[in-house]
Amino acid sequence: MKVKICYVCNKENLSKNEIGLTKKLLSKDAKIYYCLDCLADYLEVETEFLLEKIEEFKNQGCEFF
Amino acid sequence: MIYVDNAATTRISDTAFEKMLPFLREQYGNASSRYSLGARAKRAIEKAREQVALAIGAEMSEITFTSGGSEANSWLLQGIAELFCGESIHIITSSIEHHSILKACHALENKSAEVTYLPVDGSGRVSLSDVKVSIRPNTRLVSIMLANNEIGTIQPVAEIGSYLHEKGILFHTDAVQAVGHIPVNVNELNVDFLSASAHKFNGAKGTGFLYKRSGPQLPSMVFGGEQERGSRAGTENIAGIVALGYSLEENVAEMRIIAARLKSMVDNTVQGVRKRIPSVKINGDAEKRLPGTVNLGFDGVSGESLMNILDLKGVCVSTSSACNAGKDIPSHVLLALGLSVGDAKSAIRISYGKYNTVEEVEYVVSAINDAYIKIKSAL
Repeated sequence: MKVKICYVCNKENLSKNEIGLTKKLLSKDAKIYYCLDCLADYLEVETEFLLEKIEEFKNQGCEFF
Repeated sequence: MIYVDNAATTRISDTAFEKMLPFLREQYGNASSRYSLGARAKRAIEKAREQVALAIGAEMSEITFTSGGSEANSWLLQGIAELFCGESIHIITSSIEHHSILKACHALENKSAEVTYLPVDGSGRVSLSDVKVSIRPNTRLVSIMLANNEIGTIQPVAEIGSYLHEKGILFHTDAVQAVGHIPVNVNELNVDFLSASAHKFNGAKGTGFLYKRSGPQLPSMVFGGEQERGSRAGTENIAGIVALGYSLEENVAEMRIIAARLKSMVDNTVQGVRKRIPSVKINGDAEKRLPGTVNLGFDGVSGESLMNILDLKGVCVSTSSACNAGKDIPSHVLLALGLSVGDAKSAIRISYGKYNTVEEVEYVVSAINDAYIKIKSAL
């Protein structure tokens, strides 16, 4: 699998959660990915809030995480 | 938070809330008890029954309280099967019914009942001619919802009921989305049975009712005491039933004014979104639909992603697809309209309620436009 990097800060080796969150919130067919902080900036929310959402999505059984 | 998912559930009305409270505290008697505390509870239930009967043009004796719409729907279908026990019965319904109807029909099919699932046109309407050609000698029940929960389309129930009445075939309508929002009169609709749920019209969760026209006797599905004239055993949810009565009475009294306001909110939403996203489509009938509900299709953008980003912005909307373990399953309603799987997964439902404001509509429009652009930019 090709290594995913953050579209904004070029952070390498994005985690499964970061890749999953980009897919879940933007599109499963997303061509670009974000690290957690850059995604929070892009969506204008707190990083902590996104961490909470990751747990929610995991509890819902989402296979992206 | 901006809650625009009133087709899912509604905030309880202030009146209903105040009226139900004493029955959770001071007036906690069992309506079957013979002392005064019980008698007061019994009177409160009968008051609610009167409010419901008045609201839908029925007799009080024709109203049975249930735990909600799903129970009413399941009871009706299982009851009909039992009523005609020993016969090979045929039931007609539509392909866009709520799952409480569809799954009950599937269960009856497993017990050898025959079920016809009528198609709908591109706007989600069932046609009377399809009903006519589907009738068989053993057709015992037709069940067509009054208004659809996902797209808000209103069905020609009165027209279908009039025909079935002449044919002597029992007719049920699942009016869960309609009662308390559009005029509902069981005589004008020509229905023998009607289901409703309180939390959809600003009542409390856990209560609903089944209207049964005098005549057809539906066998009980819950056994025990003689509550609800022996047709549904179990200690009544008195507080919930009281809230149901007052919320329905209030919604019916305010209906004309609220409906006009909701329609204006929906129109402003569609216009506002179209300004920035011209490709947005309305799924369902543009005219014959619930005043506060609209289902919007966004070209190439996942409805689930839109919903999730709107949630981050504090806006609660619903998708038409159910995400299950990461796989989103397209809505059976939108597929029945003829939408492709991709289009069916690109929809969100916005359903305004009486507590929404004009300012909230502006925020919703802005949030949708912003979310759409953010998603598109990642593709």
